Amino acid sequence: MLESFIFATILIGFFGIIFKQNLVMKIVSMDVMSTGVISYYVLLASKNGLFTPIIGNKDNISYADPVPQSVILTAIVIGLSIQSLMLVGAMKLAKNNPTLETREIEKNNTP
Amino acid sequence: MNTLTIIWIAIPFFIGFNIYLLPQFDRYLALGVCIISGVYALQIFNYSSPINLNLLDNFGVILVADRLSSFFILTNSIVTAAVIFYCWNLEKTAFFYTQLIILHGSVNAVFVCADFISLYVALEVIGIAAFLLIAYPRSDRSIWVALRYLFVSNTAMLFYLVGAILVYQTHHSFGFAGLKGSPPEAIALIFLGLLTKGGIFISGLWLPLTHSEAETPVSAMLSGVVVKAGVFPLVRCALMIEELDPIIRLFGMGTALLGVGYAIFEKDSKRMLAFHTVSQLGFILAAPKVGGFYALTHGLVKSALFLISGVLPSRNLKELKDQPINTPIWIALVVASLSISGFPLLSGFGAKVLTMKNILSWQEIGMNLAAFGTAISFAKFFFLPHDSQTGKAKVQSGFWAAMALLLGGLVVANVFYTQAYTVTNSIKPLATIFLGWVAYFLIFQRSIIKLPRVIEQFEHLIGGMSLMLILLFWMVFS
Repeated sequence: MLESFIFATILIGFFGIIFKQNLVMKIVSMDVMSTGVISYYVLLASKNGLFTPIIGNKDNISYADPVPQSVILTAIVIGLSIQSLMLVGAMKLAKNNPTLETREIEKNNTP
Repeated sequence: MNTLTIIWIAIPFFIGFNIYLLPQFDRYLALGVCIISGVYALQIFNYSSPINLNLLDNFGVILVADRLSSFFILTNSIVTAAVIFYCWNLEKTAFFYTQLIILHGSVNAVFVCADFISLYVALEVIGIAAFLLIAYPRSDRSIWVALRYLFVSNTAMLFYLVGAILVYQTHHSFGFAGLKGSPPEAIALIFLGLLTKGGIFISGLWLPLTHSEAETPVSAMLSGVVVKAGVFPLVRCALMIEELDPIIRLFGMGTALLGVGYAIFEKDSKRMLAFHTVSQLGFILAAPKVGGFYALTHGLVKSALFLISGVLPSRNLKELKDQPINTPIWIALVVASLSISGFPLLSGFGAKVLTMKNILSWQEIGMNLAAFGTAISFAKFFFLPHDSQTGKAKVQSGFWAAMALLLGGLVVANVFYTQAYTVTNSIKPLATIFLGWVAYFLIFQRSIIKLPRVIEQFEHLIGGMSLMLILLFWMVFS
C-alpha cells in the first residue's frame, strides 16, 4: 500500500518534469521525485522494525535497517546541493527570460 | 598498495580545494595531481593481481583497481594534463582549476569503485563539477546547456537510486556482484541511469548539444573522460556477470551505428565530434573485454580533436572549406583523424583491430559499418585546404604542448598491443579508410540532408528515458 503511494509520488514527479512548462516548476517536480525515492529507502529500511538502532537497555526489539537510511542521507545532501545549483541557474536565466518558459529558453539558446 | 589507493583517491579533492586558497600556484598544483594519477595508473598496470578493498564490511565501500581501471585512469590523467597545458596561458581563474581537479578526482573515483552507492556519489559529484565548468562563461546559453545537463543526469540518477536499493534488498550489499540474481527491474533501473550518464544510445542524445556548446577545454574534458565514467561501470558489470554481456554488446552496437549515422550528415565540426563520441562509446561497449584500451585511445584522440577544433577559424565545415588553416594545425588534425579511423602506426589501429577480434559474430556487420562511417565522416577533415602562412599568431605554445602529449600518447600507446601489426590486419582498416574517402567524394560531400534535432529537445530527452526504461525491462526479462 505505502509502496504504491511512493511509486505514485515518483511517477508524478517524473511526469511533472515532462509536462510542466515553467522551469521552476520543473525543478520542484524533480524535488518531488527525489522525495519519493528517499521515502522508498526509508520504507525499505523499516521493513523489519521501526526502532532506531542505538545501544540501549532493551533487548530483542526489532530494529530498522540502518544501512539504507545512512546511504540515503548522502543522496539527500547531494539532492539539496543540486536543487540549489539549479535554482541559481534559473535565477540567472530569469533576467533575460522573465517568464521562465522552457520552450522559449530552449528556442533562444539552441543554435 | 591499499593505503596508496585511498591516498590517491583523496588527494585530488584535498589539493583541489587548496588550489582555491593558493591561486598563484593553481596550474602547478593541478598538473601535480595529474602526474600522481598517471604514476598510480602505471603502478596498477604492473600489479599482477587486482587490488580489492572492502572498507567497513560488505555494507560499506568496495573498491577494485585492476588493469581495466588502470587504462581509464591513465586516460583521465593524460587528458586532464593536456587540458591544463592548453589553458596554461589563457588566464583562467583558480576557480576553473579547482573545478577541473575535483572533476578529475571524482572521475578517478568512479574508475575504482565497485559498489553502487559510492558510484552514485562519484557520478553526482561529476554532474555538479561538470555543471560548474559548462556554466563557467555565465552566458545565457551556457547556463541553459549546463542546466539541461544537470537535469537529465539527475533524473537518470534518481531512477538509478531506486535500482540500487532493490539490489540491496535482495543481497544486503551494494556491490556490483549483487546485480546477479537481482530482480529485473533493479537491473533495468540501474542501467537506465548508467546509459544516460554515459551517453549511450537514445538516452545519450543530450550529449551532442552539451559537448558542442561547452568551451573548448571543457568539451575536451567532457568528451575525453567524463562520459567514460558512465561507461566504465557498464563494462565492469558486463565482465562480472555473464547474463548482462549480450545486452551491453547490443547497446554498444546500436550506439556505434546511431552516433556515426548522425555524424556523417553533420555540418558543424564540434557537433560532429560530439556525435562521434557517442559512436565511439559504442565501440567500447561492443567488446567489454578490451574496452579499456579503446577508451584510452578514444580519450586521447577526442580531446585532441576538440582542442584543435577550438583553434580552427570557424566551426562550420562549409566555411572551413573556403578558409585555409595553418599547416601544422592541419597536420595535427590529420594525425588525430587518421588514428580515429584506425590507421596503422597510431594506437587507434590497435584498438580497432582488438575490438574487431573480440566482437561476436552477430555484431560484425554492424561494427564494420560503424568503422566505415567513421572513415567517411573524418574524410571531411582530411580534405580541408591548408597553407603555412595563415593564423600563425593565434595559437599559443600551450596548445602545442597539449598536442605533443596527446598525439605522442597515441604513438606510445601502440606498445599495449603490438601483435596487431600483421599484413592481414592492416589491409582491412586501410581498405575501410580508402572506401570511406571514395564514398565521401561520390556521395556525402554533396549531401545537404540535415537531420532533425527534435529528439534532442529537453522534454523529449526526459520522455525518452521512460521509453528506454520499458525497452530495458523487456530486454532484461527475456
